[in-house]
Amino acid sequence: MNTKSALFKEHMVELRLFGVLLGLMVVLSLISDRFLTVDNLTNVLWSVCLIGIMTTGAIYAPITGGIDLSVASMAALAGILANVFMNTLGMNWIVAILITLVIGAGIGWLNGVVTTKFLVPAFIVTMAAKTYLFGVAMLVSNGDQITIMEPAPFLQIGIGKLLGIPIPIYIMFTLVILSHILLKKTVFGRRTIAVGANEVAAKLTGVNPDRTRIIVYTISSVTATIAGIVMASLTQQAYAMNATGYELDVITAIVVGGTSLMGGSGSVVGALIGAVMVGFINNGLNLLDMPSAFHPIATGIVILVALIMNQGVSVPAVLKKWFARPGAAEAAK
Amino acid sequence: MSNNVKSDLLLECRGIDKNYNGPQVLSKVDFSLRRGEIHALVGENGAGKSTLIKIVTGITNRNAGTIVFDGHDVPVEHNKNASEKLGIAVIYQELSLIHGMTVAQNIFLTKEPLLPGLPFIDIKKMNAMAQEMIEKYGFDLKATDIIDKLPIAQRQTVEILKALSNKASLMIMDEPTSSLTAKESERLFKIIRMLKAEGITVVYISHRMEEVYDLSDRVTVLRDGKLVSVLEGEEITPAEIIRLMIGRELTEDESHHKMVDKRDREVVLEVKNLSAEGKLNDVSFKLHKGEVLGFGGLVGSGRTELMRAIYGIDAFDAGEIMYLGKTYSPTVEKSIASGFGFVPEERRLQGIMGGISITGNIGIANLDSISSPAGFVSRDKELERTQTAISTLNIKPANPDHLVGNLSGGNQQKVVVGKWLIRDLKLLIVDEPTVGVDIGAKEEMYQTIDRLSREGVAVMVVSSDLPELTRLSDRIIVLRKGRIIKEFTEGVVTEEEVLRAASGIVEGGAK
Repeated sequence: MNTKSALFKEHMVELRLFGVLLGLMVVLSLISDRFLTVDNLTNVLWSVCLIGIMTTGAIYAPITGGIDLSVASMAALAGILANVFMNTLGMNWIVAILITLVIGAGIGWLNGVVTTKFLVPAFIVTMAAKTYLFGVAMLVSNGDQITIMEPAPFLQIGIGKLLGIPIPIYIMFTLVILSHILLKKTVFGRRTIAVGANEVAAKLTGVNPDRTRIIVYTISSVTATIAGIVMASLTQQAYAMNATGYELDVITAIVVGGTSLMGGSGSVVGALIGAVMVGFINNGLNLLDMPSAFHPIATGIVILVALIMNQGVSVPAVLKKWFARPGAAEAAK
Repeated sequence: MSNNVKSDLLLECRGIDKNYNGPQVLSKVDFSLRRGEIHALVGENGAGKSTLIKIVTGITNRNAGTIVFDGHDVPVEHNKNASEKLGIAVIYQELSLIHGMTVAQNIFLTKEPLLPGLPFIDIKKMNAMAQEMIEKYGFDLKATDIIDKLPIAQRQTVEILKALSNKASLMIMDEPTSSLTAKESERLFKIIRMLKAEGITVVYISHRMEEVYDLSDRVTVLRDGKLVSVLEGEEITPAEIIRLMIGRELTEDESHHKMVDKRDREVVLEVKNLSAEGKLNDVSFKLHKGEVLGFGGLVGSGRTELMRAIYGIDAFDAGEIMYLGKTYSPTVEKSIASGFGFVPEERRLQGIMGGISITGNIGIANLDSISSPAGFVSRDKELERTQTAISTLNIKPANPDHLVGNLSGGNQQKVVVGKWLIRDLKLLIVDEPTVGVDIGAKEEMYQTIDRLSREGVAVMVVSSDLPELTRLSDRIIVLRKGRIIKEFTEGVVTEEEVLRAASGIVEGGAK
């Protein structure tokens, strides 16, 4: 009985989120009869894929108390680089993907090194990376929308199906499972959580915080690179603007999923549910024919609400205190 | 009492009671300050000095008693702003100065002179005003110096200037010399005497008896939350103050105060001529199997620094460490792998990970033994280890999933100790093991250390709690200004003797 309730408690956040997700689905299906169709749901899951893949790696930075803002630029650059390697330099598609992954890992490693060894805040380091990676992407692609026509196996990554389910969905679920195991079941996961929970205590207990952080940013860049390759294949396009703004969706998904930006805890499954919710909200706005300007407004509100909920403060209590203040001051006089 | 005639008392506290929902921290304490005197407030750790100061400065409120400051009754709902307005200032080491700002900006923060008729700061005037104050007192400062670039001693003088600009009539200095050099301390004493000459009352809190002896006009001694005595003039001698602070004679049944000579046993750790610039000076000692070696000394005497150097947190400049007969150059990871355990001084900042569970806190120190070579953690092994730690140390609640941040201080400390106990421990370093720990957990901690020592673990204990130090140690080394000044190896050691050594009165006095 004890272990059962503990298990329930441990997955409380995920369960609550899942409840909210179901509620959202009910509301959307009541509002629009186009919502609960196989086509629409597949569509949502598909668009959720890219964000979902990115979150599986990007989630580690917040768990250490940091952040990675460079994932979207990294993804765009990855698609462009893979295309150059395959179609300009004529490399085999597998070799091209591997080289792209190595470059992605190198950029993440650099983010980690600058953050830990040169003591620049992760926010600034990855914002700079976001900017220069976008610049490199523009430079390499001439700012063009390059259509990728071949090789055929590469294009299958994005558009192929296995047992009727799109391959990107397999990739996403594989990464979610791997990332979940990495965070919950491995020494590295424990160290990451410890660094975020109390860096000094972790250090005195034998954890090397710098090494841990460098690995964290490397992983983040690698999953962004994978997302970029999937995106290039899916859209058959290499374009520097392809993922613009995705880093905010990624952070939204992570935060909505119950990971604190202060570090020390996190849930990969929660972040996946978060990504699906972001997808549903955008989908809902589409179904309601709302102008696209409403998408960022909705995303912004969702981030705020999720953060307020994660802080664990009671909203009614805050409001009560706020409104009680002038009255109380008068009474004291 | 509250007539308008100015009495010669600046502050008069009567019958102050304070309890923090439980133990009585202060009971019926009287404390009075004359105008323009230097008044030392002394007592052992936990005697109630800080609480009394917090009540006077309004950081916390008293439960009973009256306070009259400069002829005004101070209400129970006193607060920090009100005390500043009355003219009470606390000189912090550096906490309240804003880095990146100049001396003048800090002094005049929130009361900057403005350009006539405009909402802009008159920087020229502000710098000139600050410079004028600096020159008046002959401080070694410039109004335009940036705080970050100043050494601690000069930051302290900025604090004093800030208080002066607030027209403070009472300045409270808590251990002001703990991080100053001898020369800097001398300069501070000169400043304190200058303040006295201006009619400002200075409350001086220090464990350094010779300073108290040199400076003070009067001394108030607290012990266990009660006023013991107020000394004046000729009555003030270091030996007398220490006697009053400790306040009890050793009784026959306090046999655990007896040193136990274990120096014939196998040497676990040998430190030779260890030096670190400004922290440690030529420290040498040996630690034996099953021995509990206590380190006494005042705050800032280098005890914590010594422990950190041995464990591998901070580097040292010269000297050698030998561990189990071999030269040892420590790093934290190596120390843990070699059987060291480390319980740091500040539990919240350095010891616990409050946001994660007991299991998480204990697991992190034992990842080597609970994971496979491929790096997967065995949840079962981890839980088993945690259960062992919980039952050996009687951690409450005995729930491995409980967040450590929600445990009581004593149980948090048990978790910090517990993560080392389930290892093959050879050397345990504990720095202030029972600060903020309730009495029950304190006794359990002592029993744990006794048990470890019987099992052959070598233990180094740093403690400012003298009864604790004498209770636990088989041998005591006293540090002062980074050097070993005294070693107690046999017979019965009294708290008084340790304190005298720590204060620099090594062989003097009767006893």
